[in-house]
Amino acid sequence: MTDFASVTLELLKGFGVTCYIFFITLALSLPAGLILAFGSMSRFTPLRTVVRTIVWVIRGTPLMLQIIAVFYGPYLLFGITGFDRVPSVIAAFVINYACYFSEIYRGGIESIPKGQFEAGQVLGMTKTQIFFRVIFLQLLRRIVPPMSNEIITLVKDTSLARVISIVEIIMVAQNFARAGLIWPLFYTGVFYLLFVGILTLLFRFLERKMSFIKV
Amino acid sequence: MERLRVEGFRKKFHDTEVLKGVDFCLPKGEILAIIGASGSGKTTLLRCLNFLETPDAGKIYLDGELLADASAHYKERELREKRKKFGLVFQSFNLFPHYRAEKNVSLAAELMAKEEAKDFRRNLKRELLSQKVPRARTTARAEAKAFLKKRLEDIRLRAGELLCKVGLSEKKDSYPYELSGGQQQRVAIARALMLDPEVLCFDEPTSALDPELTDEVLRAIRSLKGRTMIVVTHEMAFAREVADKVIFMADGVIEEQGTPEEVFGDPKSEKTRAFLRRRGEQ
Repeated sequence: MTDFASVTLELLKGFGVTCYIFFITLALSLPAGLILAFGSMSRFTPLRTVVRTIVWVIRGTPLMLQIIAVFYGPYLLFGITGFDRVPSVIAAFVINYACYFSEIYRGGIESIPKGQFEAGQVLGMTKTQIFFRVIFLQLLRRIVPPMSNEIITLVKDTSLARVISIVEIIMVAQNFARAGLIWPLFYTGVFYLLFVGILTLLFRFLERKMSFIKV
Repeated sequence: MERLRVEGFRKKFHDTEVLKGVDFCLPKGEILAIIGASGSGKTTLLRCLNFLETPDAGKIYLDGELLADASAHYKERELREKRKKFGLVFQSFNLFPHYRAEKNVSLAAELMAKEEAKDFRRNLKRELLSQKVPRARTTARAEAKAFLKKRLEDIRLRAGELLCKVGLSEKKDSYPYELSGGQQQRVAIARALMLDPEVLCFDEPTSALDPELTDEVLRAIRSLKGRTMIVVTHEMAFAREVADKVIFMADGVIEEQGTPEEVFGDPKSEKTRAFLRRRGEQ
């Protein structure tokens, strides 16, 4: 069980878990971040304060602590048990990343000239139409670079899932190491590099696609 | 016939009173030029008319009917309906950078047509269902689709005509960044015309332009003569030549108003005289 092919196979299994966590987190935290962004820009002060406090707490504490809190918190506080590990860790990641994304969205929206909103208003568009037809593409164009940074960080942050014993790729490699086989641990780097490489190409493609929007 | 009447417009930002009670009226088809130094409240007045700002007090009458009263609270939907009565061309154009010229002109009308098609389908479906017509849903959907298709074709045609009118028919597929400032502003004029507003407003339409580009924009505005328009401008020559009526604003009030001959030729107020002298008009 220590030849290259079988190690690769084992690591791939772990990487499957990594990818699963990554994609689900991304799919949920991107829209959640937008909702939080609207909350943090709301004219309704209590809502704005609540959202900004959440963002402060989440950005101000280690992700590892948050994973532990989300997994053990319900039991410690209310005695509720029975949550699976993977959904728990995904919940923690979604909360964390939604907060980071929300700040990127907010910065992006606020950087769009007020005249764009006003032009839409004067033309009788609804707020929803203004956001999706006028603002959204310009926003996307501006946030792809900072977003790609966060998303690439997420790829690697998934390795924190092992603090609640989720067997992702690093955990698999550590199990090998514990049995005396060190090199698989370094080999995991290749998986991350390849994955991030693909993402980088994807982001570059997106940026090129949107370069026609001159701002 | 009187198209627009504004009564008692007041607006305060924090502690500064920008409009201190502005009243004026504008007959249908006439052009009103508003002149005055920066900070005199010209732009705020225009923004209040377009519901971008809510005045603290004041009323707007359109064709003799009350359109808006600052003391009333309007729902978003009502506000949108009222806004459509006015068009606004901005100082900084504010074209949508991700749409081609033609789409910039047609977008708002297209969105409205889509809403209409949705209502059309809903009503037709209800009617057909109440008459127990078979396949009511499918029929309604098909009819609404045909309705929308026709509307969108008309809109595109109209957008083309308007671009032609401002002399940009060959630029309809250009993105805003591919156009000069003057061309961008002319697209913005076409865009404002698309919804056929009762009163078309211009907020210093040439201030952001290089001097050699102002003429083409002024020419485009001039070609709209016959529409009811309000032009806030620093171009005294333009105001003098094109306007039917001139308002001089100073410190949030209308200091003087009248025909261009009266205001430019024989100003009554000392402030007007001083302003025009500084501008080299007297």
